[in-house]
Amino acid sequence: MSDEYNKQNTPIEAQSSETMSGSSGSTTDIDYVRPAELPEQDLYHGHSFITKWIFCQDAKVIGIQYFLTAVFTGIVGLILSWLMRLQLGFPDLVPFMTAEHYYQFVTMHGMIMVVYFLTALFLGGFGNYLIPLMVGARDMVFPYVNMVSFWMFFIAVCVLMASFFVPGGPTGAGWTLYPPQAILPGSPGSGMGIVLMLISLSLFVIGFTMGGLNYLITILQARTRGMTLMRMPLTIWGIFTATALAMLAFPALLVSCIMMTLDKLLETSFFMPAIVQAGEVLDYGGGSPVLFQHLFWFFGHPEVYIVALPAFGIVSDLISVHARKNIFGYRMMVWAIVGIGALSFFVWAHHMYVSGMNPWFGFFFATTTLIIAVPTALKVYNWIITLFRANIRMNTVMLFCLGFIVTFVNGGITGIFLGNVAVDIPLSDTYFVIAHFHMVMGIAPLMVIMGAVYHWFPLVTGRMLSEKLGKWHFWFTFLGAYSIYFPMHYLGFIGVPRRYFEMYDSPYVTSATGMNEFITVAALIVGASQFIFIYNIVTSLRLGKPAGKNPWKANSLEWLTSEVPPVHGNFGEKLPVVHRWPYDFNVPGAKEDYITQTTPPSEVINAEVEKT
Amino acid sequence: MSKFFKKLFGALADKPWDKEQMITDNYHQGKTFDISNQTSAVIVIFGVSTVLFSLIVTGYLYSIPVTQDTQYLLKPNLLWLNTLILLSVTYFFNKVTKDLKKNIVERVKTNLLIIGFLSYIFLFGQIFFWFQLMESGNYVSTNNYFSSFYIFTALHGLHLLGGLFFWGKVFSKISKLEQKKIISHKKTIDALSLYWTFLLIVWFVFFLIMYVFNDAVIEFCRSLLG
Repeated sequence: MSDEYNKQNTPIEAQSSETMSGSSGSTTDIDYVRPAELPEQDLYHGHSFITKWIFCQDAKVIGIQYFLTAVFTGIVGLILSWLMRLQLGFPDLVPFMTAEHYYQFVTMHGMIMVVYFLTALFLGGFGNYLIPLMVGARDMVFPYVNMVSFWMFFIAVCVLMASFFVPGGPTGAGWTLYPPQAILPGSPGSGMGIVLMLISLSLFVIGFTMGGLNYLITILQARTRGMTLMRMPLTIWGIFTATALAMLAFPALLVSCIMMTLDKLLETSFFMPAIVQAGEVLDYGGGSPVLFQHLFWFFGHPEVYIVALPAFGIVSDLISVHARKNIFGYRMMVWAIVGIGALSFFVWAHHMYVSGMNPWFGFFFATTTLIIAVPTALKVYNWIITLFRANIRMNTVMLFCLGFIVTFVNGGITGIFLGNVAVDIPLSDTYFVIAHFHMVMGIAPLMVIMGAVYHWFPLVTGRMLSEKLGKWHFWFTFLGAYSIYFPMHYLGFIGVPRRYFEMYDSPYVTSATGMNEFITVAALIVGASQFIFIYNIVTSLRLGKPAGKNPWKANSLEWLTSEVPPVHGNFGEKLPVVHRWPYDFNVPGAKEDYITQTTPPSEVINAEVEKT
Repeated sequence: MSKFFKKLFGALADKPWDKEQMITDNYHQGKTFDISNQTSAVIVIFGVSTVLFSLIVTGYLYSIPVTQDTQYLLKPNLLWLNTLILLSVTYFFNKVTKDLKKNIVERVKTNLLIIGFLSYIFLFGQIFFWFQLMESGNYVSTNNYFSSFYIFTALHGLHLLGGLFFWGKVFSKISKLEQKKIISHKKTIDALSLYWTFLLIVWFVFFLIMYVFNDAVIEFCRSLLG
């Protein structure tokens, strides 16, 4: 599509489908933008250390607080996974490890990584830092509520960690916390452990709702002039849709947590059928454990996309910037994000094929699961086509992006296996499932997080990370992750069951022992290699090369702040005015290989944007 | 509603790289909907809370056992009275927003005070009804009906308390203002009014499903569950 701007004199009526009533106008100037009609946001600028860095209302500081807290929980999760792997690879090596401990570590590892690490990091961390910057706002619309949101998350993490130190320890019911076993004696941590977990999750949901409210309204209502929805970077589309999903899915988790807490403490029977325990009839009766499964997975499956969609959005932007090419099929990418988000509410019961459901029910959910693969595959094709004949910079960011695509395709394909009832039933309790979801929901989003950190670190700190260390970090992580999870597919196929503390004298021992040892060694190496990353961050904070403004020559607004790192208020005296989408790279006729979103048409008069 | 969807989904068809579209987009003020941030917040809370309450009702309907005895269900008049109180709160809120629309500010303070007072009366009425239930031997763990009843009314009450927190903040500001300056708080009062309307709707749905037509709903669910 030709994009020649000539100084035409004909008046132009505003016709964007998103334009609100009263916002149409006419002009003769191609650079014309309407004067600001909305008042400037009043910001509370902290002056003391406490109001500036602890109880701070600046979304960027809140983003960093979220990020650091989430990373702390992630390190705890990593250490737990090491302990689990040591037990599986070298039983009896860890002297304090009992079966109870193993189940507690499995449970805490799962919940920490999915909820407290990935969700908090993508939405709380990247969301807070990037949303106001990328949409051209001074801050979130409700900064005080945003601050409270982080502190609720922090308290939730403290409550969760406290469960390690209560009598009986943390819950060991598995990360799905299925009743009735989760709250009955016999399961590890069925006393205070499970109660603290449920309270912590409830606090997390309440805190997230406060944050999510800010993300949604800031994106919808507080963008800068000229920033239509379809001029937003895909990162924002991913975070926006994921937040909408979370706002609709987390209530299911909250309801199930409240109900289970009441079942535990007040002996209600929301999820508890009539039960006889050790010959004694308990006071429960009339409830349904399957109801909990429905509620949990009504949250649990969208949760996969709550993590994946921001990753999709971020990786799209990283690929575009570092391949110096506009993202292929921007509109389709947006539609795919929205479509995946909508469909994600109709697939939850594919996690429940072995719950004894009606076969037609399984058939329905297998179908919807396969349908959701269509927009997902579309995104993969578009990333690859974007890379095709692009001017690729093979830096650390790009390596992590490529690592993401390969890993996501791998995990996605095994997802198609497990989405089919007939294939899922024999595989459902094996290591194949572990391999699948770690590929698609563990390693793939982690690749994006790493890439995003290498990409935005210069913005946050004003310094570059070391490329050399970055590449070492990538190859250790990438090859190591495949060393862990590829063999697990095989273990699953030969029938090695998941959730087993040890294999005892089963026939799997001989065939799986060597592989389990190999996986454990790989897991230790991959985990340790993350300290290269931490070392890189710590040293670069002081010794890294100064980044200057816009070191990647990107187009989006976060790189166009008045100062680097951006200060509270983001954009100096005047908010930026947007004239174009953020993907004008290598535009024929333009002087540079990028045109920022704020560049007015008259400055790139000969540029011709090609249709994608 | 169709305008809303056209606006939302129509925007997804825009081609941001297109010349004509670019010039058109330059007019955009950056706001998607012509409503205040406060009203936007209430609408988002609507969405979240609707899912929350819907799931509780769904859970209740899912858990109705075939043999559940409903004979002991109380049918006192207190819930009707509480419903009437909540209805009158919404009426007064409606009156306030209408007055503000016409720039009539004389009775805003008084009406807001009545709203707060009646809302607290509603909450006390609900707690009193809980005591009535407990006195008759129907506790939260008695059966799934009462478990759902208590949890629903508790969450509804917490939502109302949340609303009363913001009502308190607004009222304390307005009570110190001269009458002519009250209009500057119109957006916040509109948002609060919307929130109370939502609470009324939620209460009505609950009241009809779990109280007025409780027997019919239970029969219907039993027939579905076979």
